Amino acid sequence: MDKLNIFVLEDDKLAQKVMCAHLAAHCVDLASDLKTALKKLETGKYDIGFFDLLLGPGDDYSGLKAIEAAAARGIHCVVVSSSDSDETIDRAYALGASDFYAKGNEEANVGEILRKFVQNRKAAAATDIFASAFITCDPETRAMAAEALKYAPTELPILVLGPSGTGKTSLAKILHEHSGRDGAFVSINCSAYTEDLLEAELFGYRKGAFTGAAETRKGRLLEAHRGTLFLDEIGTMSLNMQMKLLKAIEERSFYPLGSERPERSEFRIISATLEDPQALIASGRMRFDLFQRVHGYTINLKPLSRRPCDLAPLLLHFTKGRRRLSFSPEAKEFMESYAWPGNVRELKKFTDLVSGGAAGRVDLEMARKHLKGTEGPRPAAQDGELYAYALAHGLEAALEKVSGDIVARSLRENGGKKTRTMTDLKISTRLLYATLKKLGLDTEGK
Amino acid sequence: MTGTDHSKLLHDLRSKCSSLKSAAELYKDCSPAEKKEMLALMNAAAAEITRLLSSLAAA
Repeated sequence: MDKLNIFVLEDDKLAQKVMCAHLAAHCVDLASDLKTALKKLETGKYDIGFFDLLLGPGDDYSGLKAIEAAAARGIHCVVVSSSDSDETIDRAYALGASDFYAKGNEEANVGEILRKFVQNRKAAAATDIFASAFITCDPETRAMAAEALKYAPTELPILVLGPSGTGKTSLAKILHEHSGRDGAFVSINCSAYTEDLLEAELFGYRKGAFTGAAETRKGRLLEAHRGTLFLDEIGTMSLNMQMKLLKAIEERSFYPLGSERPERSEFRIISATLEDPQALIASGRMRFDLFQRVHGYTINLKPLSRRPCDLAPLLLHFTKGRRRLSFSPEAKEFMESYAWPGNVRELKKFTDLVSGGAAGRVDLEMARKHLKGTEGPRPAAQDGELYAYALAHGLEAALEKVSGDIVARSLRENGGKKTRTMTDLKISTRLLYATLKKLGLDTEGK
Repeated sequence: MTGTDHSKLLHDLRSKCSSLKSAAELYKDCSPAEKKEMLALMNAAAAEITRLLSSLAAA
């Protein structure tokens, strides 16, 4: 872990000693009263500060004043206090505290606070992931991915939804890389195995456990110890396997096939599915209790057709260091209106095809040739996607999204003519302008 | 004793007990010199707890 500059405001000598012992790997500066604290905080050299609130007999929560001063200097403020009434907690957060812990569990808490702080700082600084590891210019996708990154250093399971080829595995890898976990990123595509094989893959087996088990093999659950287990296409898992996996997740222990000795593994789950989990549950293909275990934070990746602004940066990325391509305006228009049913994966394949062609200039004919057979209008948001969106953002936001998409499409098809759009959609001027405002579109005629 | 005094006394008690608990968890990993210092501080904390409890009983 990076060496941090840490400030500790604590009047109790024994508590000071405890904090210093837990922070021994870092540069620690102590203060036991407000005056000293304010003077030291003026330097602004600290990354993170731990604050007690009541400093000695007769004190009136002077630690809060130190928090205010520290937060104003951009220091990450963590309260560690025995004063943990709701009122005190509210005051501390209002003054700029980022975390509040009751005293008495420093052994577990301090390390966790520092680990999260370092990982969150890395995640916040990692704006370049959108230009390298997870390429997107789409504001909504960026916001969702950035929000998901905040949960990367936690134990919270993450469920990534989205059609095939939208980058679910890439995002899962990035989340693991920003998790600060020591172990490996272990990925398994549940749809690629029969039930028996999936059980053997996940839990491992002992030599002779079944015909063909010529040697003992470690399962993916054990390989993911202290790391991340990425379960792709979790919706394809049989109910029987779901039950076994649920037990392993809950107990953090499991029996490899043919073994009488349980194995322990502290893995974090990230799962993905291209299907609507609620529909899977409703149709009896997914256990509700497993769903509860895997959907701590849900991120829904949009299909490429709904983020056409990503075409250019993705093309640039796929051709980096290789033959650069040029697209005619007609080819660009065609690609922007193309449905991209295979999403980013299809775009990669398309790039490979046109890169290998005779000419570096891609015209409409060539674009049509390589994207032939799947040409068509962009699909509207599918029920499953919309349902997942409503679950993540609320019904009202989902309805607004639908009306926004319809208005935007109608305007596009009518060449931006608002009167035609109002007539076609049978909507009032007021509703049109309110929708345009929500979409962030110019309401002055553009 | 006012309500505020009472809650501050309780805060001090909880604070000292928490420090003692955390110190006890750390103790096994301390060097001999640190153990000596830690023990002295733990003794002082225990004495302070006794004093605070007496104040509470007298109130």
